[in-house]
Formats: sequence, C-alpha cells, structure tokens
Amino acid sequence: MTISAQILSADTLISGVLPALLLPLISAIVCLIVSEKYGWVVAFISPLFLLVSAAFAVYTCYHQLGSDPLIFNLTWFSVAGREFDINLLLNNISTLMMSVVSVVSFLVHVYSIGYMADDAAQRRYFSMLGLFTFAMLGIVVSGNFLLLFMFWELVGFSSYMLIGHWYEKPEAADAAKRAFLFNRLGDAGFVVGLMAIWSGYGTFNFADIDIANGGGWQIVAGIGVLCGVLGKSAQFPLFGWLPKAMEGPTPVSALIHAATMVAAGVYLLDRVFWIFAPPVLITIAIIGASTALIGACAAIGQHDMKRILAYSTMSQLGLMVMAVGMEAPFASMLHLITHAFFKAGLFLAAGCIIHTLHQAQHHSRDSFDVQDIRNLGGLRKRLPFTFVAFLVCGSALAGLPFFAGFLSKEAILEAALHWASHGQSWRWLLAGSAFVVSFLTPIYTFRMIWKIFMDEEVLTQNLEIAEAPPVMRFPLLILSIASLWFAVSFNPFDFNGWVFRNISDFIPPAAGASHHPFPWLSFASIFWIALALALAYFSRNASIRSRLLYEAFYFDKVIHLSVELPINFLGNMTRRLDRKWIDGTLHTAAYTYTILAHVVGWFDRFAIDGLVDGVAWSARMVGYSVRRFQREGVQLYIFWALFAIIIFIIWTLL
Amino acid sequence: MTPDYDLLFLGALLFSAGLSIVIIKRNMIFVLMGIELLLNSSVLNLVAFNRIHNDVPDGQIFGLFVIVIAVCEAAVGLAIVIQVYRYYQSSVPDQINELKE
Amino acid sequence: MQEIQLSLLIFTPLLAASIGLLIPAVNSGLFRYLSLVANLIQIAVIASVLSLFKSGDGIQFVEYQSWITIDLGTWGTLRAAYFLGVDGLSLPLVALSVAILLIATISSWNVKRQTKGYFLLLLLLNAAIIGSFTALDFLLFYLFFEFMLLPMFFLIALWGGPRREYASIKFFLYTLVGSIFILVAMIALYISVQEPMGSQQIVHSFNLVNMRDWSNYLPGSVLEPGNARLIGIFDARQWCFLLLFLGFGIKLPMVPVHTWLPDAHVEASTPVSVLLAALLLKIGGYGLLRIAFPLFPDAAAYFGSFVGWVGVVSIIYGGLNAMSSKDLKRMIAYSSVSHMGFVLIGMASLTPEGVSGSVYQMFSHGILSAMLFLLAGVVYDRTHDRTIDHYSGLYKKMPVYSTFVLIAFFASMGLPGFAGFIGEILVFLGAFKSNSAGGPLHESLAIISTVGLVVSAVYFLWTLQRMFFGPFFVKGEIQADDLTDLRSHEYLVLLPLATAALFFGIIPQPLVNVIEPFAKDFTTFILNAGTSIHSTH
Repeated sequence: MTISAQILSADTLISGVLPALLLPLISAIVCLIVSEKYGWVVAFISPLFLLVSAAFAVYTCYHQLGSDPLIFNLTWFSVAGREFDINLLLNNISTLMMSVVSVVSFLVHVYSIGYMADDAAQRRYFSMLGLFTFAMLGIVVSGNFLLLFMFWELVGFSSYMLIGHWYEKPEAADAAKRAFLFNRLGDAGFVVGLMAIWSGYGTFNFADIDIANGGGWQIVAGIGVLCGVLGKSAQFPLFGWLPKAMEGPTPVSALIHAATMVAAGVYLLDRVFWIFAPPVLITIAIIGASTALIGACAAIGQHDMKRILAYSTMSQLGLMVMAVGMEAPFASMLHLITHAFFKAGLFLAAGCIIHTLHQAQHHSRDSFDVQDIRNLGGLRKRLPFTFVAFLVCGSALAGLPFFAGFLSKEAILEAALHWASHGQSWRWLLAGSAFVVSFLTPIYTFRMIWKIFMDEEVLTQNLEIAEAPPVMRFPLLILSIASLWFAVSFNPFDFNGWVFRNISDFIPPAAGASHHPFPWLSFASIFWIALALALAYFSRNASIRSRLLYEAFYFDKVIHLSVELPINFLGNMTRRLDRKWIDGTLHTAAYTYTILAHVVGWFDRFAIDGLVDGVAWSARMVGYSVRRFQREGVQLYIFWALFAIIIFIIWTLL
Repeated sequence: MTPDYDLLFLGALLFSAGLSIVIIKRNMIFVLMGIELLLNSSVLNLVAFNRIHNDVPDGQIFGLFVIVIAVCEAAVGLAIVIQVYRYYQSSVPDQINELKE
Repeated sequence: MQEIQLSLLIFTPLLAASIGLLIPAVNSGLFRYLSLVANLIQIAVIASVLSLFKSGDGIQFVEYQSWITIDLGTWGTLRAAYFLGVDGLSLPLVALSVAILLIATISSWNVKRQTKGYFLLLLLLNAAIIGSFTALDFLLFYLFFEFMLLPMFFLIALWGGPRREYASIKFFLYTLVGSIFILVAMIALYISVQEPMGSQQIVHSFNLVNMRDWSNYLPGSVLEPGNARLIGIFDARQWCFLLLFLGFGIKLPMVPVHTWLPDAHVEASTPVSVLLAALLLKIGGYGLLRIAFPLFPDAAAYFGSFVGWVGVVSIIYGGLNAMSSKDLKRMIAYSSVSHMGFVLIGMASLTPEGVSGSVYQMFSHGILSAMLFLLAGVVYDRTHDRTIDHYSGLYKKMPVYSTFVLIAFFASMGLPGFAGFIGEILVFLGAFKSNSAGGPLHESLAIISTVGLVVSAVYFLWTLQRMFFGPFFVKGEIQADDLTDLRSHEYLVLLPLATAALFFGIIPQPLVNVIEPFAKDFTTFILNAGTSIHSTH
C-alpha cells in the first residue's frame, strides 16, 4: 500500500503522540522502582499518568480525525543498505483506537484502585498495567510490521504477567503459561509472515510496501500475519487460552482479554487489510465464522460468569474477524470500538459483584464460588447500580436497539449480506452463521443477567453485600454511557454515524457501504433479537448441562492430545536419544578403547617386557651364582683366588 | 741336590703351611700368624735366590726390608685385630659382615 | 606505526599470572585482586580499541611480527607469524570476552579452595580466549585454541561438582578430537598455500588473510581451487571444509556432537560455566565465520544447506532436550545448544542479514547465557540442589532473584526489547531471503526453524511455572531458610548483564554498525567465489 501521507511534524509528535505513548511506560517504570515503603503511592500516580496520556490521545484524535495520515520515520538500524525503521503511522483508525485504548486503560486503572486495594503486590500490578498500555498503544500507532511485532510480543509478556498476577495459585500460573504459549504459537506464524514480507518487499513500513511487487510472497505474508492474529485474538484453533486467562484479576480481564489486547488482532487485520490476497480473505472469513459460532455455543454452556464473558468475547472477535474476511474492515473496526466499551463495562460490573461478594464472604467466613451464576440470584435490589450498568452493557452486547452494539453488529450483518450476495452461494453459509451468532448472543447474555440479578437469592441471603466504592463505580458509569448509541452514531438506526464515516474513508468506496443496500435489515434484526429474548426468557430456568458446550467442543483435549502429549513424548525421546544413543555410542567407543588398551597393555607387559625381563633374569642368575663365591667369607675368597692362580699357573705352564 | 735348593724347599713348605693357616683358621690372630709365616717363607726364598745368584747382595737387602715391613704389618694388624675385637666382641672374620651387601 | 593494544590485551593476564606465580599460595586473597586488576586493565584497553575502531575499515589494530621461520630446503620455507587484528566479527566478541571475564572474576570472589591455582588458571584462560579471537595466523590461532583446553580442563576437573572427572574428560576428549580435525585441515592448507610475491623459493605460511586469496594457492596442490584432488565422493576442499565444520561444530556445539556441553555445564562451578557458555562456545562460531567459510567459500556454498539443516536440528533437538531436563543447569545448557543453532542458520544463509544476525546472536547469547548460569548458580550456592522439581513458588521467597530470572528467561526466548530478539529476527529474515538472494537455504528451512521460538517458550515458561510460581515449598534436603534473596555481589554482576541485554535490544545500531560491514564483505566474497567455482566446473 502506498499512502499519500505527510511527514509527521515534530510538533504533533511531541504534543500528542509521544506523551500518550510514553506516559504509561513512565508510569510502569515509576511503579517498578518506587520503594516498598511508599508502595501506596502507585495507586494514585499510575491512574494520573494514564489520565494525562488519555487526554493527549483524545486531543490527538480530535485534531487528526478525518485529515490525511501522518508518518513519522526514524532509522533504527540498517543492514546492507536495508533499513529497519521506527515508523509511526497515524491515520483515522489508529488515532481513534489510541483514544479508545488509553481511555479504557485509564478507567481500568481507576477501577483497580478499588479492586486491588488490598493486594500486596500493587506495584507489580500497576507497573505491568502501565507496560501493557504502552505496548498496546505501540501496536496501535506503529506503521511498521517489525515495530508492531515487537509491541505485539511485549503485550503478550505483560498479559502473561497480569494473568499470573496471583502466581501462588497454580491455576493462574498455568493459565499465564498457556496464554503466552498459544500467543507464541501464533507469533511463530507471524514471524514467517515477517520473513515473507522482508523477502518480498524489502521493507516493513506499511507506507512503502508495494503490494503488487511481492515476488509471490503475498499469500505467505498474509497467512503469517493471520497466524499472529489467531493467537492474539483467540481465534479458532488457538482460542483455548482465553477462558483460562480469566484466572487473572478481573480488571485485567476487562482491559486485556476483552477490550484491547485480544482486539489487537482484529485491529491488525483492519490496519493491514491490503496485504491479504483473496484466498487468505476467505480463510479469514471461515475462521472468524467458526470461532464466532464455537464461542457463542460454548458461552451458553458455561456457569462461571467470567467464562461466559470470555467465550462471548471470543465469539464477538470471531464476528469481527469474519467481517474482515468479508472485505468490510471498517465494520469490524466499528464493532471493535463499541465492543471495547461494553465488554469492558461488563467485566468491570462482574468484577464489582465478585469483589463485593468476596469481601462479604471474608467477613462471614462463607465459601462458595462467587463466579458461578448458579449460586447467585436476586442481586438487583442489593446492587442496583451494578445491575443497571450490567444491564446497559449487556444490552449493548446482545445488540438491542438504542445501544452501540446494535449499530456495529448491523454494520457487520450488512457487510455479510453484501459479501454473500456478490459471490457463490456457499457464502450465504458464512453470512448465515453471523445471524446465528447474533441470535445466540442475547440468549446467553440475558440468561446470565437473569441468573445473577433476578429471581430469588440462592446462597447470598446471609451476606452483607454493599455496592462497590465510588472509585469502582465511576469507570462503570463512563463505560455504560459509552455503550449507548450516540457513542458511535447520533441516529440510533444508522451505523453510518460520525465514527464510521471517519474510519471508513481509508478504504476505497468500492465496498459500497455508504449507501444502504438492505434497508429492511434494521427491522429484521430487531425482530430477530426479540425472538431470541423471548426464547431466553422462556428457557430462563432450564439448566444446560452439556459437557460438550462446557468444554467448548473439547478443543482443549484435542490440543492436549495432538500437541502437548507428542511434544512431551518427543522431549523424552530426545533425552533418551542423547543419553542412550549419542552418549551410549561414545561410552561404547570409550569402553572398546579401554579394552583395546588393556590388551595392548597385556601384550606389552608379557610379550615385550617378558623378553627384556628374560635378559635381565639371566644376567641376575649369573650374577647370583658368581656372587655366591664371595659371600662365604674372606678366607674362602682367598682360597678361590689361590685356586684360580694355581689353575692359571698350570694353564700357562702346560 | 745342593743345600741352596733345600732352602727353597723349606721356603715352599713354610709358604704352604702359612697359606693353609690363612685359609683354614677361623681366628684372626692365627690368620695374622699365617701371614707372618708367608712373609718369612718369602724372606727365606729371597736369601736362597741370593745364594744361587751371588754376584750382588741385593736379595739379602730385600730380605731385610721385608722383615721390617713384616714387623710393621704385624704391629698394625694386631692393633686392628684388637680394635675389631673390642668393637665386635669377636675376632672371627666371617662374623664381621657390616660391609657385606 | 605498530599498534600494541591487542598484545596488551593478551599479555596483561599472562603477566599477571607470572606475577602470581611468585606470590606464595598463603596470600589467597591477593590472587583475586591480581585477576581483577588484570581485567580492569583489559577493560581500559578495550575501551580505547572501541573508541579508535573505524567501522567498515576491515581488519584493524594489526600487529605483525615474524615468529617462526624455518628453511626446509626443497620443501620451501615455513613461516608462522605473530599476527593479530580485529574486524567487525572479532571486535564484538573480544569486547564481550573482556566484560564476561571481569564478571567471572567477580563471581569467583568466593572461591575458597586453592585460590592461587584457580585464579592463575583463570588468567591463562583469559589470555587464550582473547588470543583466539584476535589471531590472524592459523598456527597462532590453533595454539591459543588448544591452550584454552588446558585451564578449562583443570577448572572443571578440580573445582567442579560430584561427576567432575567424567565431565572434564568428556569435554577434553571431545574438544581434542575436534582440534585434530582442525589440525588436519590446517596442514592441508599449509602445504597448499604460499606467500604472495615470494622470491624463487616457496614460502609456506599460516596467514589466514593470504589463505582467502585463491591466487596464493600453489598450482597442483591438494587444495588448489577448482582443481582440488577428488577423495571419495567429495574433493579435498570439501573434505577440509567438513573437517573444519566438524571441529568447530563440536565447540559450538551442534547436534549430534553436543553431549559434552550439558555434562560440563552441570559439573562446572558457576564462573566456569559462565565462561564456557558465554565465550568458549563462541569460538566455535567464530572459527566457522573466520576460517571454515572464508577459506573454503566454494565448499561453504555447496554445503550451506546442510549447515542450515544442522542448525535447524540443533534448535529443535536442543529445545526438546531442554524441555525434558530435570536439572536447571542442564536445561540452560541445552538452551545454549538450541540458541547456537540460530548461529549456524544465520551464517549458512549467506545474506548480510543472516550473517549479522549470527554474530549478533553470538554476542547476545554471551550476555544472556552468562546471566542464566549466574542465576542458576545463585540457587545452587544456597542449597546445593538444582533439581527443578524440588522447588516451587520461589517468587514468594526470593522476589528480586525471581525478577532477574524472569528477565533472563524472557530475554532468552527472544522477547523484543532484549538483544536476543535482534539476533534471532535477523537470522530468520536472512534465512528466508537466502534463496531469493542466491544463498543456499530454502524458505522451508526458515519456516521450520520458527518452531524454535515456540519450543524455547515452552521450556522457559514451564520452568518458571514449576520453580517460581505456585505455592512455596521445597523438597529433598533443601532448607527453606537457606533461600535468601540476592546478595550485593550477585546483584553487582547481574544488573550490568541485564542492562546490557536491554541496551543492545533497544539500541542495536552501534553493534550492527560494527558487524554489518563484515557481514556484507563475507557474503559477497563467499557468494562470488562459490558461483565462480561452479561455473568453472
């Protein structure tokens, strides 16, 4: 894609992007080095930094939205004339995403003040949250695949640290590892994509890649990037880590595993949409649709409220990915933004419930699983504020009219219809799955709301439940407001509002989204949702005990059997190979050598030394016999001397 | 047979006797005496040979020298024997084996 | 003007060692200071070298002094020279050596047994390492290369763990076998190469720079380029390349001649492990880049793909073995095998990116493996137990230590922001580009090698999970009270290493600037030579 872009002036950089990007990093460093004695200070400093960062981001967005893209380029290092750049690319979607990320992150920081008030490792927590925000903002603004990949990995690292925040729980440690590994698996694919891009285009800069001259590597590059997305956005088949990641603190789930990090994959697809060749796009659509379906079905089978939300996130992400595959990145982007707000809101509301119930349990020494919705009920009277927030955000998720989710979902449905009507008939299958998902979403959402807030209380009668502190309610309030329709469009039945108009102009108008080809869609989808709500209401007391759904179609088991076990087996094989065969061969060689040495030694001692010894022996024997003459005494010696002289005399005389 | 050759015969007899004493006797004193006998027999022979070739009396002068040496030798030998006896409490040469091997 | 910096680097430790010989062994404290002073002088010298080095000017700080000259009549004249110099390949490694040797001295501060012998051997090893990295005469290089063995053998055999004898003998034999291969190749080269512009008489020399130039090969000699003698399936040049590859590959080490490494590491004491992993392994890679590839460019191009696949096997095989290791040090040792595979792939790619990445990877692995072994030494110092399963939840007990472990592990698995990432990504990019840039590697090799990324994450994360996370407990004969957090001298050596890993991960330009001219020359030289020879065939 060659972008007609202006050079980002130093002024804009310093007054907008850099502070927004670096303040979270500074916050992270400050939190890390502040001494334990002043540990309490991080809970104030960190949100403050984030507030300023968010202000800068929103300011940049306000100035930048709708104008030409800006590029900032700095050579990082160069090898053989090819440059590796630090490249920032500011266009509409990145500035918008930047403000979404920093605002949600700020809200989560504020929320965490209350939620993590009693945690001993607050410094580590806020530090990692800051690092995460920095990395996430880095993904958003970078205009270069390599830089993006670096932030991409850094996001994975901070996510690992945050999921494993309560590392003493073995499940948390395991979940953190699993999340990182699944991400890493995808990232290995991403690296292949990077290699293909480097080999084909000789640059990583979005602006400099000329997609037509790829030397045939466009498909590999696309598949590689897609692999990265699969891991990060928990798409089929690499979604197993997301439900497990709910072991982390709930604000983390809200920020990372709902609003931002998992959305980074979708964001990447939108941002580098131009790199995907048509066959890759179809793959993307199929993967997205299947993830959306699996997620929605699995969400119905769950009892743990955070897991319901996790599977729901997965399903929504699937929808977004599918929309990208259906050549509607702008629709996917819209849903990404609305989803960020209402899903973060839902998680934070769930966090309020969990937090207050935990504290109540702590006082009454009661213990049951507070996240299991079967144990809850009737909380609307006890927690009215949380109830309203949950209801608003849930309605947005379910896609009820007058909520933001309704509009963005409609954008996706319309894109699906448009895509399906312009191709072979099997495309209707994928478009249909989008409708199935949008039918299932209200069902699990409202079942959950019903179980938590309606009916009678099940196990919570005796607990002293109080509404969460204001510091936790404030973010909830903001997010609930942002879940209403005017957050994206002032007309509650037309998604083509102020946000959409601004993000869609970076795509050529050929996708034809500016006019509405399906005017009946709004009514149809209202009817469709009403039907789903009715079904949800009538089945509110039916308990779903499907093991298949609960285990999300046993994908974990499949992965366990097909990946983990063989790898373990291989590991043990190689160890044995090393010990038994390589070292074994060596030892055999060494022993053979030793035996040979002994044989040679024996030969040496008995054959060669024997010869030498024989000579010495005979000499000694002669010496011994001769010595005997001298041994007996002086007189005998004289006698023998005399005897010899006599013999000698006789000898001479004769 | 002239008396000169009798002298030689006597010398040979004395020599044989001295030699057998030196070889056979175990006591060092007797060995010394045997050596004296050997010396005396050689003095006798010197004198006898001087008589046979009697142009100059050098044989007799030799004899005198040998007698003097024999005296010295006897004195030194006896002294050694006494010292050895004091040290080893024995005058049997076979028992004095400190230098052996 | 004759420069003396490199000689200073080599002779400072030797001088210190000979001074040390005169000091009675009773003054055990003195020897550490002696070693430290030698290291500090070296640091000062290398600082001046670094500041005077002009990137892209080829070999610099050359010292040439004739050393051995023997007239062999009809056999020509044998000439070996004291010939030193540094270029973009050796300078980073020399600088790394000086730094790591200082760290090894500091971390040897607590050696109690036979201090005199220990530090004198350390000084000898010091001189031998620097000598191998700077020598440009094959005989001189070989001398230093062999000389390294001796102190190392004794350092493992006398100050090592319970199975030290087995380990040290294994180390010794492996390396000795490797040296014999190198020796054979060296002799073959010696008889085939003459000094340029000699008079009537032929002058045979060991000059590595002359050996690169094909016009210096005697016509009709064994290794004459394009006309080398055929022995079995390969010609003599290819055989010589294979001999050198095997000889240096043992040192690197590559699979399947790597099994000395885990044993040597497990038994060696911490500073010795650090030297072994951070510096001695690099000499294998250095030898390949300095001798095997440039002297036999035709054979290198011919066997490039083979070398690359050996690298891939090393990466995956080493990784799998690391995964199944139960001993912390053994795990780290196998991770070294895995990381050195990247070095092989990078050089075999014959692209500037790949070769730069290869050298960068050696440098970063020098930093990171030193850190990893120091960290493993910390816990071994306290408990004398390195079994991974005997620990759990160490983060709670030793937070600072665990933070360093976390940094070192993530840096080693190539997290961006650390030096390892730059090396690995450059190697990957080079490997994939190789095919289209005329190099020997196929794209599929690059794709398969990315498995290494996943495997390294598996074993490092699994170790983290088992040893550092979860509830705190210890098994076996470990006393929980022994597990105290980092002491100041441990902190003192770990912090600079972590900082260096971060620095070279974020600001690679200075180092890449030094390496890149070498990589570019190397690549063009080998590719041109390789193609020219194939066209004559």
